[in-house]
Amino acid sequence: MIRCVEIALSIPDNEARTALATLERLGVPAAALERADLYRCDVDDAHADELPQTLRAFETIFNPNKHVLRVREGDSPLAGEVWIDEVGRDVIVAPVRIAGRTLPGVRSLERFTAWRLFAPAGVPAAPDLVDAATAMLLCNTAFQKATR
Amino acid sequence: MSVGVLIFPGTNSEDETLRACRAVGLATELVPWNAPLDDVRAFDAYVLPGGFAYEDRVRAGAIAAHDRLMQAVREGAAAGKPVLGICNGAQILLESGLAPQLDDRVGVQAGFARNAPLGKFRSTHVYVKLAIPPERSAITASLPPGTVIPAWASHAEGRLAAAPDVLARLEREDRVAFVYCAADGSVTPESVPNGSALGAAALVNGRGNVLAIMPHPERDAWTFMHHDPARDRAAGDTAAMLATSGGIALFAGLAAALERSVRV
Repeated sequence: MIRCVEIALSIPDNEARTALATLERLGVPAAALERADLYRCDVDDAHADELPQTLRAFETIFNPNKHVLRVREGDSPLAGEVWIDEVGRDVIVAPVRIAGRTLPGVRSLERFTAWRLFAPAGVPAAPDLVDAATAMLLCNTAFQKATR
Repeated sequence: MSVGVLIFPGTNSEDETLRACRAVGLATELVPWNAPLDDVRAFDAYVLPGGFAYEDRVRAGAIAAHDRLMQAVREGAAAGKPVLGICNGAQILLESGLAPQLDDRVGVQAGFARNAPLGKFRSTHVYVKLAIPPERSAITASLPPGTVIPAWASHAEGRLAAAPDVLARLEREDRVAFVYCAADGSVTPESVPNGSALGAAALVNGRGNVLAIMPHPERDAWTFMHHDPARDRAAGDTAAMLATSGGIALFAGLAAALERSVRV
C-alpha cells in the first residue's frame, strides 16, 4: 500500500519564511507558506503501520526536538500545495535505504519537497496563486518538476 | 573603472575574489546586500562570488536571484557591463535568467542541479578549457583560443541541466564558454566532476557580457595554490610562490574587457 509521510519543522522554518518574503517581493500575495519533506512509500501491509516509527529512528531526517512526523491520508498534494522533485531522479526501489539503513517492507520510495501556500484568510491558496509561486520561485523546470 | 564584488548573506568567497580582481589592477570593492542601489549602479562591472547565498534556501541561488541587489546587476547587464558569476554566483546568474538568456525565452532556462551520479558535494581540482571563440565573450576576448585554466570545483549543485532543445541551442550558439578538461586540454568524460551536460563548466549570455562559471579560478590564481610542478619549482622562492598564475587569467580577461570599454 502507498503511505505518505511528511516530516516538517516544529520550530520556526527559516527557509519557508525566506521563500515567503521572496514571493512577496515577486508580487505573489501568499499569507503563509509551509514546507515539509515528503516520503511516498509503497510498503507491504505487514510493515505499513510501523513505517512512521521506522522513519522516526533515522536521526538524519528526523530530530524529535525540532521535527514533527505525520502520516497523510492521501498520496497526492493537498489543496494549496505543490510537490517539487528533481527531473530524472529515480524512484528508489527495494532494498530502500536511508543513510545506509534499510527500510523494512518498503518496496519503493519517492522524495519530494512539499510547499503549501495559504491565502490571507488562512485558507489554502487558490491554484493560480500556487502556479505563480511555483513558476516564479519554487520550481526550476530546467531540472525540477512540480506535482499539483 | 570599478568592480563591485557582491555579498549576499552566506557568500563566503568574497575575499579571494576581491584579491584576484585587485591583483589584475581592477579597482574593486565589496558590496553588501543592503548597499544603496544607486551606489551599486555606479560600478562598471560586477562579480558574484561563491558561497551559499541565503543558505541555498529553496535552491542554490534561487533567493539571491530575486534579491534587490540583483536589480542593479540586471540593469548593468542590460547596459553591457561585464558580469562574472563564480560557483554560487553562477548559480544565481542562471536562477535570475541572466545566463544563458536565450533570446526568445524569458525567465530561467537552465540550472545547476545536484552533481551526478551521487548527488554529493565535491571539492576537487579541475581544469577548464575555453570552448568558444574568445571574442564571443567580452571576458574571454583577450584569452588565446582554447585557453586552459586551473580551478577548484567545490559544489554540490554544479551539473548543468536544461531541456534538450535548450542544450542543443547552448551548443549551437556558442553559449558553453568553458568545458571541463584534462591538464593537457583534452576533453574527456573523466574530466567532468559532476555529470554536467555538454561537459559545461561555464555559460555565457547572448551578448557575451555575462559569464557564469562553476569552478573557482580564484582558488588557483597564485602559484602557491597549484597542484603541479610549478609550485615545486617555486619552492624556496617567496616571490615566485606568491606570483599570480593559472586562474588569474579569467580576472585578467575581465580587466581587459573593462579596458577595452574605456577605449571604445
